[in-house]
Amino acid sequence: MTKPTRSLNAATSIRSVMVWDIGIRLFHWSLVLAVLVAVLTGFFGSPGTTSLHLFAGTSIAVLLLFRIIWGLVGSTYARFRNFLFRPSQIIARFRELKAGQHNRYLGHNPLGAAMVIALLLVLLIIVSTGVVVLGGTLKQGPLAFMTPYAVGSIVKEVHQIFAFGLIGMIGLHLAGVIYETLIGREKLIHAMISGKKIEEPHIDHPTTVRTHVVIGLTSFIAISAFGFGLVTTLSAKPGLGVPLTALDSTYEKECGACHYAYHPSMGTVALWTGILEGLPNHFGEDATLPDATKTQILHYLLDNSAEHWDTRISKVLAKPNPDDPLRFTATRFWTRMHSDLPEALFKMKPIGFKGNCAACHQDAKRGLFAPQSIDIPQGDKL
Amino acid sequence: MIQRIFLTVLLAVLGSALAIAAGAQKPILDGYASQAKAEMSGFSGFSAERGKVFFLAKHDASAETPSCATCHTADPTKSGQTRAGKEISPMAVSKTPDRFTDSEKVEKWFQRNCQSVLGRACTAQEKGDFITFMASI
Repeated sequence: MTKPTRSLNAATSIRSVMVWDIGIRLFHWSLVLAVLVAVLTGFFGSPGTTSLHLFAGTSIAVLLLFRIIWGLVGSTYARFRNFLFRPSQIIARFRELKAGQHNRYLGHNPLGAAMVIALLLVLLIIVSTGVVVLGGTLKQGPLAFMTPYAVGSIVKEVHQIFAFGLIGMIGLHLAGVIYETLIGREKLIHAMISGKKIEEPHIDHPTTVRTHVVIGLTSFIAISAFGFGLVTTLSAKPGLGVPLTALDSTYEKECGACHYAYHPSMGTVALWTGILEGLPNHFGEDATLPDATKTQILHYLLDNSAEHWDTRISKVLAKPNPDDPLRFTATRFWTRMHSDLPEALFKMKPIGFKGNCAACHQDAKRGLFAPQSIDIPQGDKL
Repeated sequence: MIQRIFLTVLLAVLGSALAIAAGAQKPILDGYASQAKAEMSGFSGFSAERGKVFFLAKHDASAETPSCATCHTADPTKSGQTRAGKEISPMAVSKTPDRFTDSEKVEKWFQRNCQSVLGRACTAQEKGDFITFMASI
C-alpha cells in the first residue's frame, strides 16, 4: 500500500500540464468583461451608454473572430475538433453526473464543451442582430444604408430574446464551474488563470498538435483590418430613408422665429395640415402668416413629411395622442422617453419648454435624434 | 485753423450719423401718425411714457401671455424668451438698431401679438407709442 502512495506523490506522476494557452485565457477574461459591459448597458443603459454598448459589442465581435481562428489553428485544447463531442457522449456525461461518478477531462468535459459551443453561437447571433438593429432603427453602422426601420425594429426583439437566453446560459456555465470546483474538485477558475491542470496518468488526452501562432495571428490581423475597412466604408454610406437636405430657409425663418424649427420628418401629412390650418390659434398664440408664405411652407412640409422617411423619429411620433393630436410632446413615445427627466429641467433657461428639442438633441435640426447626440445643458434656473 | 476745420467736419459727420440712427424708425412712425390722425380727432403725437405704460400693462385676453413684458421682460434692453424657449433680441432700439425698420415685419408681429395679448388689433396710436418708447431707451 505504501508504494502507490509514494508514486502518486512523486513528481513524475502528478504534474501540471498547460491546457489553456495564453490566447484562450486572454480571450476568456476579455470576453467576460465585454459581455458584462454589454449586458449592463443593454438592460440598464440610458441614451448616454449607447456608445459604450456599441463598443462592447464591437469588442465581442473581434474576440469571437479570434476565438474562431484559434479554434482552427490554435493549441491542442483550443481546437474545436477536440471539444466537438457526439450527442451520445454528452448524454453519457449526464448519466455519470447522476450516478455520482466523476471522470476527469483535461480539456472541456462533453457537457461544458457543448455550453462553450452554444455560448459562442449565441454571441455570434447577438452581435449580428445588433448590427441589424443599429442599422435599421438608428441608421448607424455598416447596415444603415440598406436596413428598413421595420426590419431593425423586429430584429431588436430577436436581439433581446437571445440576450435573455445568454444570461440564462451564463448562469448554467457558472453553475457548472461551481459544481466541478466543489464536487468534482476540478480547479476550473484557477485553470483559466494559470492555464494549468493537474495531469493524471489514466486521463485520455487528445494528440498534441502544433500551434500555428503566425498563421493564426496573421489571419486575425488581416481579417480584422479588412473588416474595419469594410465597416468604415459601409457606415459612411447615407442611411436608408434618412433626410440629407438642409431645412427650407423660409420655413426655418418663419417657424424658427418663435420655436425650434421641428424637422418636417417629425410630422405626418395630417399633423402639418392641422398645424398650418390652425395658425391663428397656434397653441394659444396667434401665429398668422400671409397666405403665400403659409402655402409655401405647407408644401415644403408635406413634401418632406414623416411618410417620406424611414428614420426612427418619423415612425415613433406618427402615433398622435387623441387628446392633443398636434403636440409632439403629448405622444406616448415622447412621454416614455423623457419620463426620467424632472419637470423643472424643461423650465430652465436654455431649454424653456418641453418642445425645445434642439436644446438637448444636438442633431435635432437634421431630424436625426441619435442617442449619442444628446447633451443636456446645465442651465441656470429661471 | 486746420484743427478747427477738422473738428467741424468731425462734428458734422457724427451729427448726421446720429440723426440717421435716430431716424431709422421715422418712416414707420410717420405712417402710424397719419393713421392715428385718421383714427382719432384729437391725436397730438406719440408719447414714450404712454408706450411704457402700455408695454407693462396686464391684460386679460390670455392667461399665458397677459402682457408684452411676459415674453420681452419688463426691461426692453434685455433679451426676452418666447414661450417655446427661443431667445428674443432686446426690443430697445439702442440694443437692436434694426428694430422697427421693416414695416412688413413690424405689422406681422403687431397683428399676432396684439391678438395674443390684448385679444384685439392695436390702434395706430398704441403702435406709435410703443415704438417711440422703444426708440427712447
